Amino acid sequence: MELMGVEPDRLHFSWISSAESTKFVNVVKEVTEKVKAIGPNNHFIKDTAKVA
Amino acid sequence: MTLVKIDKKNWAEGLKAAAAAYRLYGPVKEKDYHQFKALEKGETPEFDMVNTRLSPKALLFPQSEEMLEYSLDESRDDHHIMKEVARDDSPRAVIGIRPCDAKSTLLVKLNFDTPDVKDPYWLNAYQTTTFIGMACDSPLSTCFCTTAGCGPYHEEGLDMLVMDREDAYLAKILTDKGKAFADAAGWKAASDNKTAFESGKAAAEGRMVSSIKTDNLTATDLLELHGATFWEDIAFSCINCGTCTFSCPTCWCFDIQDEVHGKSGVRMKNWDSCMFPIFTVHTTGHNPRDTKTQRVRQRFMHKLKYFVDKYDAGIMCVGCGRCVRQCPVNIDIRRVCELMNSFKPADACAAQG
Amino acid sequence: MVGYTEKIKEIAGRLLKECTVDMVVGFRKGTMPMMNEPCFATTPEAVDTLMWDSNCGINLANYLTNRKEKVAVIAKGCDSRNIVTHIIENKIKRDQVYIVGVPCTGMIDKRKITGMVAGEILEVSETENTIKVKTADAETLFEKTEVLQQNCSLCIHRNPVIHDEMVADMVQEQTDVDRYADIRKIEEMEPEDKWQFFDDLLSPCIRCYACRNACPLCYCPTCFVDEAKPQWVGKGQDPMDVRTFHFLRAYHCAGRCTDCGACERACPVGINMRLLTRKLEKDCQEQFGWEAGMSLDQRPALDVYQANDPGAFIK
Repeated sequence: MELMGVEPDRLHFSWISSAESTKFVNVVKEVTEKVKAIGPNNHFIKDTAKVA
Repeated sequence: MTLVKIDKKNWAEGLKAAAAAYRLYGPVKEKDYHQFKALEKGETPEFDMVNTRLSPKALLFPQSEEMLEYSLDESRDDHHIMKEVARDDSPRAVIGIRPCDAKSTLLVKLNFDTPDVKDPYWLNAYQTTTFIGMACDSPLSTCFCTTAGCGPYHEEGLDMLVMDREDAYLAKILTDKGKAFADAAGWKAASDNKTAFESGKAAAEGRMVSSIKTDNLTATDLLELHGATFWEDIAFSCINCGTCTFSCPTCWCFDIQDEVHGKSGVRMKNWDSCMFPIFTVHTTGHNPRDTKTQRVRQRFMHKLKYFVDKYDAGIMCVGCGRCVRQCPVNIDIRRVCELMNSFKPADACAAQG
Repeated sequence: MVGYTEKIKEIAGRLLKECTVDMVVGFRKGTMPMMNEPCFATTPEAVDTLMWDSNCGINLANYLTNRKEKVAVIAKGCDSRNIVTHIIENKIKRDQVYIVGVPCTGMIDKRKITGMVAGEILEVSETENTIKVKTADAETLFEKTEVLQQNCSLCIHRNPVIHDEMVADMVQEQTDVDRYADIRKIEEMEPEDKWQFFDDLLSPCIRCYACRNACPLCYCPTCFVDEAKPQWVGKGQDPMDVRTFHFLRAYHCAGRCTDCGACERACPVGINMRLLTRKLEKDCQEQFGWEAGMSLDQRPALDVYQANDPGAFIK
């Protein structure tokens, strides 16, 4: 995905069990901050088909 | 039929003048090939090519075209109403279409303009377009138009035919639409060079190296031809992609798809290909042409037999050679035509299908 | 690869005469310069049309899936690795296929050569190391190494990894080949430039699916782009749909692709879609130490979970 132009900080992976609520909160906070720092995404979006 | 001489210096100016009344399209170089595109202001078509990679059929029949649209947004006046997509129907001119591609428009018209059923999308585009052809002086070794019902100086389907005479162009105005374009472009210098087109045509036709024979296709029995044993061999290498159908100027099949996005949607038509396995899938799941051999046979039978029988207008091929040049596995319609044309029914196997 | 044609005819004739196989899949000479057509022979007489040269770039493993007969196939290095993958993925049984191995010195790139000469190419002939290109006005001689398909110039598995019989002696494998120099260049770009790069790369795509259909790995009865209920990807020319088709197909081939180059060769508009497949090949190599199709005894890296699979990216 990075090769195609997705900024590295936009895609995150994490293993979180439903019993790890603190970790969940922290990861969500971190991802939100990182993505907000990059700004709105304007790639990989399709509205109605762009055609003739 | 008026003959008009166009000094090459006046060519670009003429196109600029015509651009006031017509949207112009012509072949434009992109990387290592040419493609028909809308010409930008002041842009002239580029002719350092024999023909474009894909045919100009996309000008009348875009690969993806929106037909209808709707919105469920109740704040809009037209909510919940499916309506036609707004289209630009102002006059257009295609500058530099080759005679083979121009002839193909007439073959396609047989399908889209019938007494019972008309395709308004294609017909609309066709009727608002003026076709300015550029005669072909150096055919490729894969061109076989002269034996496919047209030729490098063929006039059917054109409103004007232009030939290159080094320092000038010589244009033969063929229809009222052609005259209207010439007037808009300010090309009025009459010429009395009556022999130029004949000699140009003879010279170009003399350079044709490839040919096909189609004289037996009408007489050969359809079912016998369908049951011929050579189809397995022809079809084996085919990978059932859409290259031949998409590059062919006479292929016209399309698929209608709905795409929904949130509260709005469109109904669009996309090029489809009889080569694709799901082309003939029924809603029940049954597929009458679910083997490759059936599909390949169908395509060549359509081009060289069914169309011949149905319309009595020759074969459904103009000899442009694009499929020959672009097929990834080198299936050659000229070879198939030879097999079909020389087929003797005694060779047919009894089993069909 | 001079002399391969005669050997292939001899082997094919023998296999059919002795009924070792029902059918031989190979190439016959095409009607266009630099093109050959895959074909089959079912009788010893028919093997006379079989031939081999540096234009046999289509992957014949593509014609093996779901066959019921016993079939012999002429396979170069990359093709043989795809046959291994087919066997592992149960698309054909090992004892159903007789592999006639071709030690390959590479296929020439017809698009590259067309761009290097002026005028229509009328004839192309070759010797062991040279390619002669004839147009109406001139004859140009190239070193074969100058005009190879890119995947062949980067090839590190020219010899078949599995075979029942070989057409010739093994050839020397290339060493010190940097397979990913161009991929690394793209990896170093800024995200915006990367996005634009692939936009430009994929813009000529006409959704003909020649790449997918020429690929031996793409054998799904219904490809994801052909599904309509649900419709995963639009079927038209929207740039996002075109991009999705290409990168998702690359993902489906990840860890299985042998870089045979059939996809690029088949493409009628010359798209270099191997930039996507090779990135995934690079990742599989670097992260799993995996190379597709090298052995019948190992399941592909993305097929199995190992305890030591890379996991550093999961926080």
